[in-house]
Amino acid sequence: MIQKTKKLLLNPWFQLVLSVLFVTTSEVFLKRGAVEAPRLPEEVNWTGVSGLASPDVWYGILFVIASFISWLYVLRFIPLTIAYPLSNVVHVLVPLASWFFLNEHISVQRWCGIALVLLGVLIVAKPVARMEENL
Amino acid sequence: MTPVSALLILVALILYILGQLFLKHAMEDDLGSARFKKNFAVGLSTMTVSFFITLGLLQHFELSYLYPFQGLSVVIISLLAAAILREKLTPRLFIGAALISAGVVLVSLS
Repeated sequence: MIQKTKKLLLNPWFQLVLSVLFVTTSEVFLKRGAVEAPRLPEEVNWTGVSGLASPDVWYGILFVIASFISWLYVLRFIPLTIAYPLSNVVHVLVPLASWFFLNEHISVQRWCGIALVLLGVLIVAKPVARMEENL
Repeated sequence: MTPVSALLILVALILYILGQLFLKHAMEDDLGSARFKKNFAVGLSTMTVSFFITLGLLQHFELSYLYPFQGLSVVIISLLAAAILREKLTPRLFIGAALISAGVVLVSLS
């Protein structure tokens, strides 16, 4: 069991999945925290520093750090020409998460853009999946 | 858009792309070596500067206005990874990257 978990954690493709999930989670927390945060006078508010008063913003920051660490591990093993396009699946996951958790509205044109990103990600991922099967 | 803000958008994009390339280059190295430390430091610094320029730009522009430039990074990073880091860029990978870039631009225009 421990062996299996360790093997999974050391798998760069699993870390890539973790990295995009961490980014998505961080965005939801940061948005929630930014909304709850007290509004300061306009002159200082642009920095978003008042957001630090919200625990959600701190959870968001933790997830940003976690995603960066996973991403560095990914970079060690997967070419950038594959890893970077695949990481852009966040442009699919973040709108879906905002729609699901934050009840945000998504326009038709935006759904089309999301579908295009997903198509691009699948085109990059398919030969990779075949490559992995042969290993 | 003023020439200064256009320049800042361009600089933020270039620094972000350089950051990814340097971090990638660093992570392929021996993690104890001096070369790793140098490349990692350069990558982390350029990314940090890019982050703060973007934060500053966000005061003046809508996120949806700055987002398309981020979308372009997919195609540019793929091309530069092939040219500089000698990675293999198949036509299939390039088409995938181009579709993702187009998708991100479309998402931000709506």
